[in-house]
Amino acid sequence: MAMTARQRAKVSLYVQAGIFVVAVAALILAADWKTIGNSVFNFAKIGPMFPDIFLVGLKNTLIYTALGFIVGLSGGLLLALMKLSTFPLYRWIATGYIEFFRGIPALLVFIAFGYGVPLAFQVSWDVTIVVMVSLGMVASAYIAETLRAGLQAVPKGQMEAARSLGMPQWRAMVTIVIPQAFKIVLPPLTNEVILLTKDSSLIYVLGLTASQYELTKFGRDGISSLGAGLTPLLVAGAFYLIITIPLSLLARKFESRTARTKR
Amino acid sequence: MNDVESNPRGTVKAAGVSLKDLRKSYGSNEVLKGISLDVAPGEVVCLIGPSGSGKSTLLRCVNLLEKPNEGTIHVGGFEATDLDVDIDKMRRKVGMVFQQFNLFPHLDALRNCTVAQTKVLRRSQAEADKVARHNLERVGLGHLADRFPDQLSGGQQQRVAIARALSMNPELMLFDEPTSALDPETVGDVLAVMRNLAKEGMTMLVVTHEMGFAREVADRVVFMDGGVVVEEGVAEQVISAPTQPRTKEFLRRVLDPTHIEVVED
Repeated sequence: MAMTARQRAKVSLYVQAGIFVVAVAALILAADWKTIGNSVFNFAKIGPMFPDIFLVGLKNTLIYTALGFIVGLSGGLLLALMKLSTFPLYRWIATGYIEFFRGIPALLVFIAFGYGVPLAFQVSWDVTIVVMVSLGMVASAYIAETLRAGLQAVPKGQMEAARSLGMPQWRAMVTIVIPQAFKIVLPPLTNEVILLTKDSSLIYVLGLTASQYELTKFGRDGISSLGAGLTPLLVAGAFYLIITIPLSLLARKFESRTARTKR
Repeated sequence: MNDVESNPRGTVKAAGVSLKDLRKSYGSNEVLKGISLDVAPGEVVCLIGPSGSGKSTLLRCVNLLEKPNEGTIHVGGFEATDLDVDIDKMRRKVGMVFQQFNLFPHLDALRNCTVAQTKVLRRSQAEADKVARHNLERVGLGHLADRFPDQLSGGQQQRVAIARALSMNPELMLFDEPTSALDPETVGDVLAVMRNLAKEGMTMLVVTHEMGFAREVADRVVFMDGGVVVEEGVAEQVISAPTQPRTKEFLRRVLDPTHIEVVED
């Protein structure tokens, strides 16, 4: 008996759902639940992580991310303006910087600024400075590209209108073009913050004192000290989600708002 | 001619414009092939011609949005083509209205009219507000001062753009096809505002396809084609009794687009 298109679509949907259910069931049956209970969901033993993972870890992760973002945003804006400059030297410097820092793992940057630079210049940097510089310099490279795209998305007529009212180039940029560009890049910029939040964990390569621990460090320490297997990492991961999910929701809200105000 | 003169025709302070042998090329494409044009203070001049004739480029050269390759431009007391000229200072005296309005979408109508007053002319916010409201009234939009550009129709946006330019107290207004992007029913409101401005004695240089407006409001009409001035003269005469074949051809197409010519042997 021939099926109509709608019937075929319905059958296809049932088949897909069936495959999904079977796959999940297979995973559940194949897993070693006793071990998982002891080493992943072993919440009975993680008491000692609290309240420090919250009071110190979450706080430090937020501070490191914020510092990195502030440096990244200022550096990114500077690089974006350099990349759009009519002066070739500025463009070359900006392009070189962006390609370099986007191309190497952030971990290497942390090691470079945590050990290499202090050694080369015989200075001792506080962990906060290292995070700020390392995270900030990597973030600058990514944010620069985002902002450049945003600046270029502002119609040329905006700059012309501002200039024709007697505004100098820099004033037109600051008052007219940059505010509009920021509105355009808010969603991708929020994504950058989410990436930064997770990258702040790379600070673990430096020797940290207890008051400098951030979420991942708490998780790693918990693994070796609590005897609850990987459960502490699960807890640390949950804390990251506490930061990043609201940010995602915020980004989505910005996105729908800019979509609405655009004609 | 180039200095600001007392204007017998109206109430506003008006500047004259003088262009000499203006040339402009994009690569090997010469868009302006040596144009000279004088506009007296308080005079209204309409630039007409087919697209690609260079009339918009000429207009954009006057406030140096385009830099001419050769020739001189005098506006008011400024020589725009002098390399040492303070171009921002000169542009304060020259209002510009664009085909696509170019209102600032992140600012409401009032702020669109005040931002350059406070940032460029250093007026206080209170004074700038007062000037802006006066000019929004002048274009008939005093009641929409708190609307954002995307909440206004095309015609309303263009009138805000005119109010924005007027809020700088310009002595010359440049209009670059101000009604070409508008719905037909809102064209009239914009033209009415421009007609009033002309009556007040503003110097106006208008690139337009509105022949009715040109005939009624312009003192002079300049017909351009292929980067040169083909014909210029009193508005009525150029539009009703052109002497050059190219002007005749252009006007016949514009005034009667559905006309089909019957070629007889």
